Amino acid sequence: MSAPAAAHGIPHAAALAAWRGRAPAPPRALALPAPELLERFHPDRRPGAMVPLRVGASAGLPCRAELAALLQSDALVEDEDIAGAPLLDADVLVIGGGGAGCVAALTAARAGARVLLATKLRLGDSNTVMAEGGIQAAMGPEDSLQRHFEDTLRAGHFAADKALVAALVSDGPGVIRWLIQEGMGFDLAEGSDRMGGNLLRRKPGGATAARLLSYRDFTGLEMMRALREAVLLAPGITLLERHPALELLTDDRGRCAGAVLHELARGRPVLARAGATVLATGGAGRLHVAGFPTSNHYGATADGLVLAYRLGAALREVDSFQYHPTGIAWPPRMAGQLVSEAARASGAALVNGLGERFVDELDTRDVVAAAILREIAEGRGVARDGQAGVFLDTPGLERAKPGILGRSLVTLTHLAHRAGLDAAAEPFLVRPTLHYQNGGIAIGPDGWSGVPGLLCAGEVTGGLHGRNRMMGNALLELVAFGRRAGAAAAADARAERPRNIGLTHLADWRRALIAQGLPLARKAPLVFPPYGNFDMAKDRGRAA
Amino acid sequence: MRVLTDERRCVGADLGAWMAAGGGAGLERALADRGGIIPAIEAAGLRGLGGAGFATHRKWAAVAAQPGPGKWVICNGNEDEPGTFKDRFLLSRTPHQVIEGALVAALAVGAADIVLYINPREAAAVAVAREAVAQWEAHPLLARLAGALGEAPRLRVVTGSGLYIGGEETAAVASVMGGFPFPRLKPPFPAESGVGDAPTLVNNVETLAHAGHILAQGPEWYRGLGLGGAPGTKLFSLSGDVLRPGLHELPMGTTLRSLVFGHGGGVLAGRAFKAVFTGGPSNTLLTAADLDVPLDFDSLRARGSRLGTGAMIVVGEGTSILRKTAEYVAFFAANSCGQCPPCKIGTHQVSRILERVEAGAGRPGDLRALENLAGLLPGSGRCGLVDGAATVLASSLRTFRGEYERALGPSGQEDGQEDGQGDGQGDRLRGGGLRGGAP
Ligand SMILES: Cc1cc2nc3c(=O)[nH]c(=O)nc-3n(C[C@H](O)[C@H](O)[C@H](O)COP(=O)(O)OP(=O)(O)OC[C@H]3O[C@@H](n4cnc5c(N)ncnc54)[C@H](O)[C@@H]3O)c2cc1C
Ligand SMILES: Cc1cc2nc3c(=O)[nH]c(=O)nc-3n(C[C@H](O)[C@H](O)[C@H](O)COP(=O)(O)O)c2cc1C
Repeated sequence: MSAPAAAHGIPHAAALAAWRGRAPAPPRALALPAPELLERFHPDRRPGAMVPLRVGASAGLPCRAELAALLQSDALVEDEDIAGAPLLDADVLVIGGGGAGCVAALTAARAGARVLLATKLRLGDSNTVMAEGGIQAAMGPEDSLQRHFEDTLRAGHFAADKALVAALVSDGPGVIRWLIQEGMGFDLAEGSDRMGGNLLRRKPGGATAARLLSYRDFTGLEMMRALREAVLLAPGITLLERHPALELLTDDRGRCAGAVLHELARGRPVLARAGATVLATGGAGRLHVAGFPTSNHYGATADGLVLAYRLGAALREVDSFQYHPTGIAWPPRMAGQLVSEAARASGAALVNGLGERFVDELDTRDVVAAAILREIAEGRGVARDGQAGVFLDTPGLERAKPGILGRSLVTLTHLAHRAGLDAAAEPFLVRPTLHYQNGGIAIGPDGWSGVPGLLCAGEVTGGLHGRNRMMGNALLELVAFGRRAGAAAAADARAERPRNIGLTHLADWRRALIAQGLPLARKAPLVFPPYGNFDMAKDRGRAA
Repeated sequence: MRVLTDERRCVGADLGAWMAAGGGAGLERALADRGGIIPAIEAAGLRGLGGAGFATHRKWAAVAAQPGPGKWVICNGNEDEPGTFKDRFLLSRTPHQVIEGALVAALAVGAADIVLYINPREAAAVAVAREAVAQWEAHPLLARLAGALGEAPRLRVVTGSGLYIGGEETAAVASVMGGFPFPRLKPPFPAESGVGDAPTLVNNVETLAHAGHILAQGPEWYRGLGLGGAPGTKLFSLSGDVLRPGLHELPMGTTLRSLVFGHGGGVLAGRAFKAVFTGGPSNTLLTAADLDVPLDFDSLRARGSRLGTGAMIVVGEGTSILRKTAEYVAFFAANSCGQCPPCKIGTHQVSRILERVEAGAGRPGDLRALENLAGLLPGSGRCGLVDGAATVLASSLRTFRGEYERALGPSGQEDGQEDGQGDGQGDRLRGGGLRGGAP
């Protein structure tokens, strides 16, 4: 398979002509069975893509090479750096101001804990605000928790942890009620009015029932709006914006005891000491694994995985990433940004450079992405200005359902505008974009990692989605497990105050790296993507 | 050469295996020539390895000189300070070595009550020692010891409070008697008045473990184990920023360089060597200038430091001396028993100041307050606890003053008078000069 950005294919003008000439697009006959398609074209299956981890609690586990390099690196902070650093105290420290972090902070604060919420950028700068399609919950009369459970397991190729999935789906209806109480809006079914009625439900890819609830095509933004307000109004939460966590702290019993934060405004370390710590740092898209562009926000650099792993937490399925089928391929400046699955869910077709459909657009994401990559690799893609992709037939959708673009695919229409095209007249050029880390830190049903004092929630965790996440389950997860982790953290934190906090785990970690002959020169977490040109070592110097 | 940690001697509670590995010979020799025990210990040059380094034969002779019966031997296995982990190894992996030494001591001083006094937090050590003690019950050597003593020896395990202070010898005595481990004023030393006012020999686990071998193989052999005139071997509890931390049994008199860079594999990640806290950690820091100092009692004394328990906590570049000092002083403060106000209040005062300096909230005058306290506190408690805290504080202030200054920042360094607390406290402390410390 060639690099995803390879430009060979059918020139854009010719492809447009083929698409126009063959509407509605005929299906292409030469379909591959899903297993073979995945084996040959999914980026995770490329030889050399995965390496076994050599140190840590999950030594031996296959891991994406780019991530393994970060996981097996030395810390950014030294014990000396934190001598003289200001110390903040809390019952619960929540790291990450996306959806999972906000929900955990709110839950812990409402349980009476004093909460410190530290985030890398501003509150809400996260993957959560970017979620478009919606959130799953088995609410329909024909649906059931059992079906949601089975759909999730199947979509994840049966690699998910059943206890976690059971917790996820059974929390579903309660999560929606909770979100409505927090003030989040949801689309209502035709015929409902504002004072009552039914939630609009759609069928997400890979599901057996209409279960996807949404707010237009900016569900995550609406969710974050409500959560953000709640957090800002909660008396028990102290918010620290622009305070990325650089390392977790331990106490003298090896419990997680908070974190070393870096105050960006002053370029100095700040210690946050806490009885319990909830890690909710989200995903890893900005690692650009396999050279893919990403749909993820700027801060998605796998920091949480690095921090937790160094402290002894186990990971799982870190060799499994989700490439969303429809990232923008052109214009290049918008490469990787997501065109919502809602387009396909509503009926938009994928069309190759020959004007043909080549996949069931509602198949699971891994299969659809692999099919697109195959078209590109085999020369049937569309080439434009050095970018290759396939068409997402939004004009065809608009023809079939007049008015849909303006009414419910608002974000898509806005994206098209920014790309300088009219979505009703011209198809988008799309190709898979690095979207989601299916795996992450192994947790139990209350969000506990294996490390005492450390809980995790949201995209940073693994086990809920197996090897492929269903659309709509991530938003459900972040609320369900944000609540679980927040409650568990508040209950645990009051047991005992951490003493002798420090970085004692680093010596053991370095010994392990040395024993494996791994270099100590590489430092992690990344905090910002390399093109951010942010040098932590230099920035720290500013403190003086 | 490894003696105490020789793999063949690590037989656990199995007495048969211990005897098969050459055990029992020391006690045999002692029984054959009771009067020769103390001279042999003296000739070997054995000194206490519980921290104070007091000549073992003098302690034994002192207890032996007291009238019997009713005397006691306490084998001190309270071991609780940061960075020391040797006694728990001996008790859990090779307990008969310790018991045999204790029986030799009992014979030498004429004591029939022999207590293995163990920290209850070391559950494995307690369990193995209990099992080991039970196995001696019917052993013929014990019957012969009874014959020599004129009564049956009562060998048992007593778990203490688990508190650090319980390791101080008079506190250990109080603990064995079932009381709270309060140290008391000395003299009288336990050798005159210990358990139930009876003469009591208190020795460290490692000290006693050596005694059996000295009897079995002779003082000459023992002296030959050490380097540069220092006798025997020593267990070093090596920890901190080294590649290979752990328990290293090395000749007494091995240099610090050889311990850290040879046996310890060097400073972790090839960093520069900064200092070593010696166990403790209640002694003057050893720095790069001390790397070639032989690690034995006299050489370290001559450098103004102490061997202590042989715990060596290595600090490499990147690790803060200030933070470590704060941690250890906090440990001492938390473990002060509260009988002597200067100790209780003084260690807490130091700890509070260190904590705020460490947290970037130091105030002008803090540095001076710390220096004052470091000068005032030594000798103000009945046991050595406060001395240890003051020593490590003073040493870090002297050698790594820059770290304190950096943490205080420009504002914290001005020599202001705002914080009268330290000084005022010092005035009150001046009145409490009680002399104490182990013999
Ligand atoms: C474009 C897009 C569309 C999506 N659409 C959907 C959808 O329709 N339905 C669905 O269910 N899911 C969707 N997802 C997935 C879903 O949005 C995310 O998985 C989910 O929001 C993750 O939430 P989170 O709170 O775990 O992480 P995030 O929302 O990413 O929050 C993580 C936070 O942690 C902060 N952080 C990171 N590192 C540090 C550090 N070192 N110190 C301090 N803070 C740190 C980040 O800055 C961020 O604020 C989509 C994702 C993307 C990118
Ligand atoms: C605060 C304090 C704690 C002590 N803790 C121990 C201990 O845990 N184990 C020990 O053997 N000696 C400890 N000592 C030293 C004992 O008082 C005593 O000197 C020692 O047990 C004598 O044995 P030795 O001569 O074999 O060294 C401590 C001393 C002080 C002041």
